[in-house]
Amino acid sequence: MSDAALTEGSDERWFKKAVFYEVLVRGFYDANHDGTGDLSGITEKLDYLQWLGIDCIWLLPFYQSPLRDGGYDISDFFTVLPEYGDLADALELVEEAHRRGIRVIADMVMNHTSDQHPWFVESRRDRTNPKADWYVWNDDDQRFVEARIIFVDTERSNWSWDPERQQYYWHRFFAHQPDLNYDNPEVQQAMLDVVRFWLDIGLDGFRLDAVPYLYERDGSSGENLPETHEFLKLMRKEVDATHPGRVLLAEANQWPADVVDYFGDDDECHMCFHFPLMPRMFMAVRREQRYPITEILSQTPDIPDGCQWGIFLRNHDELTLEMVTDEERDYMYAEYAKDPRMKRNIGIGRRLAPLVDGDRKLAELLHGMLFSLPGSPILYYGDEIGMGDNIYLGDRDGVRTPMQWTPDRNAGFSRADFAQLYLPPLMDPVYGFQAVNVEAQVRNPSSFLQWLQRALQVRKRHHDTFGMGSFELLQAENPSILAFIREHGGETLLCVNNLSRFAQPVELHLSRFEGRVPVELVGRVPFPRIGELPYLLTLGSHSFYWFQLLEAAQ
Amino acid sequence: MTPVIDAAALVEPLRQFLPRQRWYSGTDAPSSVVVEDSRVLDRGWPALVDLIVDADGARYQVPVGLRPSGERPDFLRGHDGAVVGEVGGNDGPLLAYDAVLDPVLGLSLLDVVSGSKESADRVRPVGGEQSNSSLVYDDRLILKVFRRIHSGRNLDVEMTAALSEAGFEHVARPLATLTVHDDDLAVLQPFLVGGSDGWALALTSLRDLFGVGDTQPVPVISADMAVPAAVDPAMAGGDFSAEAFRLGRITAQMHRALAEAFGRSAGDTGVWADIVEAQVEAEAHPQFDRAAAKGVLAALRGVSDAGPAIRLHGDYHLGQVMRTDAGWYVLDFEGEPARPPEERRRPSSPLRDVAGMLRSFHYASLVAQLDRHEECGDLAAAWEERNRGEFLKGYRKTAATAGLVADPAATEVVLAAFELEKAVYELGYERAYRPDWQSIPLAALQRLGAR
Repeated sequence: MSDAALTEGSDERWFKKAVFYEVLVRGFYDANHDGTGDLSGITEKLDYLQWLGIDCIWLLPFYQSPLRDGGYDISDFFTVLPEYGDLADALELVEEAHRRGIRVIADMVMNHTSDQHPWFVESRRDRTNPKADWYVWNDDDQRFVEARIIFVDTERSNWSWDPERQQYYWHRFFAHQPDLNYDNPEVQQAMLDVVRFWLDIGLDGFRLDAVPYLYERDGSSGENLPETHEFLKLMRKEVDATHPGRVLLAEANQWPADVVDYFGDDDECHMCFHFPLMPRMFMAVRREQRYPITEILSQTPDIPDGCQWGIFLRNHDELTLEMVTDEERDYMYAEYAKDPRMKRNIGIGRRLAPLVDGDRKLAELLHGMLFSLPGSPILYYGDEIGMGDNIYLGDRDGVRTPMQWTPDRNAGFSRADFAQLYLPPLMDPVYGFQAVNVEAQVRNPSSFLQWLQRALQVRKRHHDTFGMGSFELLQAENPSILAFIREHGGETLLCVNNLSRFAQPVELHLSRFEGRVPVELVGRVPFPRIGELPYLLTLGSHSFYWFQLLEAAQ
Repeated sequence: MTPVIDAAALVEPLRQFLPRQRWYSGTDAPSSVVVEDSRVLDRGWPALVDLIVDADGARYQVPVGLRPSGERPDFLRGHDGAVVGEVGGNDGPLLAYDAVLDPVLGLSLLDVVSGSKESADRVRPVGGEQSNSSLVYDDRLILKVFRRIHSGRNLDVEMTAALSEAGFEHVARPLATLTVHDDDLAVLQPFLVGGSDGWALALTSLRDLFGVGDTQPVPVISADMAVPAAVDPAMAGGDFSAEAFRLGRITAQMHRALAEAFGRSAGDTGVWADIVEAQVEAEAHPQFDRAAAKGVLAALRGVSDAGPAIRLHGDYHLGQVMRTDAGWYVLDFEGEPARPPEERRRPSSPLRDVAGMLRSFHYASLVAQLDRHEECGDLAAAWEERNRGEFLKGYRKTAATAGLVADPAATEVVLAAFELEKAVYELGYERAYRPDWQSIPLAALQRLGAR
């Protein structure tokens, strides 16, 4: 075992300091040359991920599924989708990752199954079978009418008629994804068994898909119900009892004030995504002012000590403004809807590089903010080399094209015939694999990949403070400057970001740190000592600084 | 305990000290200085004595710090103008200086004003102020020390308190005041941390627009090349329009609260026109078309229902509004400093404030291109038009519901008259202080006359 290896019971709050890396199993690397990525493919690329410096892999669903919703329609929780491998491959991936000090979490869909899941096949047969009550059935489609329809483009009702059982069944998402009935204790136990099974395999936790919708109640929106929180508390208790140190990451696409409920009193989910921050980071650089960011941070409640936000720039989903509908939350809607360029990106999956027009400085700045704002950063596979997207592939496939490893055949992703590939790799002259690939960037010391790898190293050296430190916004009269202090255990970090395309000056009031010397974190360059007067900094276009404020004697 | 110093000994030093201060309204040393009131606020060491000084009939507040003379304290380095002078004390000569610069006395002031309810670790003076001196405590509280003292309540305190009472949340509510003989001398308010004023944000937006809106057309490289669309403010990243809309909305909310707090009366366009006309008559700039201006006022006189008259902000422009993480805040309700307080309290059309803000959009669009070499005039005009429109859209909806404005046609006429008034005032100001900028109000006057 190498020095990096994880040992049982080491640092139960690891996730607060970690950098996550979201991987589409299908799209990362094809180890068996069948045109589709697989678990063994990820295992083969662990050395790359270790070099890159990430701490935890997040696997998108890899379970048995008819794949009508990208694997979020699970038909067997205990089986790996054969295209991706088998249980032994999963076990090997987890062990090899742990040997390199990398943890692995995976998507888990709690709310529903595929309509092809044996539980549902049995449940729909008649009204008396042993699983008859495992899903939500009703004679008419008039219950829970207050619950909104999430996929308004494809679904007209949350109820669908089942001709076999002659009843309606409830589904918050697609009609082929019936909701499990959590009022039934057998369902609760069955899902806890699923969770325990994968924790026994060695998974370090789960990203819990669509958690707000577990229960339905008359006269309610069916979101964030107290019963849902109670079940999550039960699950957390079970996990902590048998598998301490694992993490539950909730996907609750709600306003921060509502999302915090999913942390409970540090007795529910360990982590939740911070959804509104992402579109606001893009808006801030577009507007060249910090308010889109600082406004949402000031509206974000404190969370329990043991908990953490998950923050990201891009992921496998489209840019969504779903959570901003109320009048007083009108900011993003007003800003995005009026801006033709930003509006164009709503509802389509875009990758980071095309979103910023391939602007390297801007991509660096956005990552600089992602790594230094409160929360654990989550990267999306391919964004580390500035991969592009293909919005003509439809649905969300545009950002799910094969990882571009080399300039060779099939982007070095697979040795299968081109026609066999699950999706064609990008081949356009700007973002295609001949121009953008891991191999070329590993060999080029000034590549974006190398820059990111070094930035992650720097973050790791200070991950206690970046991950767990307090956050204090600094007064800056220049609206294009976002400056803040992170402090933890005697370490003080100063982060200054220029959101403008133009060089900017800023005077910071740092007299609290009078006498200290700001040392730039990347090059360890000492800057002039902080005096009693405002501290003057100048920043180039879209640039940022991370400083450690050291006592002069140090 | 006896007073630490003899105030009379300070008269001559104060005569020299006053003209060095930005908040002093004259230019030369006053011929007479009388120390009206002298109150010891801190008997500790350093000592703090608050003086009310009458200089040729104008009253000023001068908080004086006292330390043994000899070594200059660090905070006075580079601030020679802040030293009042040396005076004799009970135990030897003392250095008298402007106490707002002294970090120790800054904390004493907080203690005095808040009645020992607030304390802080650090204090810093805010630089660059015209009529007050402000101190910021721990980036949490701000103490505004008034310099020019008018009898009675300070307008800013009066207005801010009334607006808070009326439920308007976009002002910094006064937490405590220092009031002596019914005169407000200082006010403590929450500090709006992370704020930037509207002027800085507008210039950020314009800078971005000019940056992408290079007027040079791109060369055609190939026959089938897609030519990028021309830039307009809606397409530019730094678009300000959503902010302008929100700003309009809170402006109307402010007026609604002012009407609630101070009442409303029927607007009299004849009186309004007379007031502006007097200013028009007094302006003799060779490029000022007085006849055209009178045409604007004639139109105003012709409006039968111009909406109500209410108390106003009075000096409303982009520099008086601050964007914070909690939205826009309105600052500085003292009105135009050049006018006497009773005039500043005079009710008028709320559109007078609106006109002030619209003039500010015009100013921003032109100031932003002053030091640029390329021609940005079209972009600047498009920017102004867009944000003017959005501001008015945001204003109108709330203002109409609150019965603050008349029909749109009348609104146009009233607005034009108050924009005219503002531009005439600006012309006088620019001629006196920034002759290079006279072209800005002149352009506005020409535009108003041509309408």
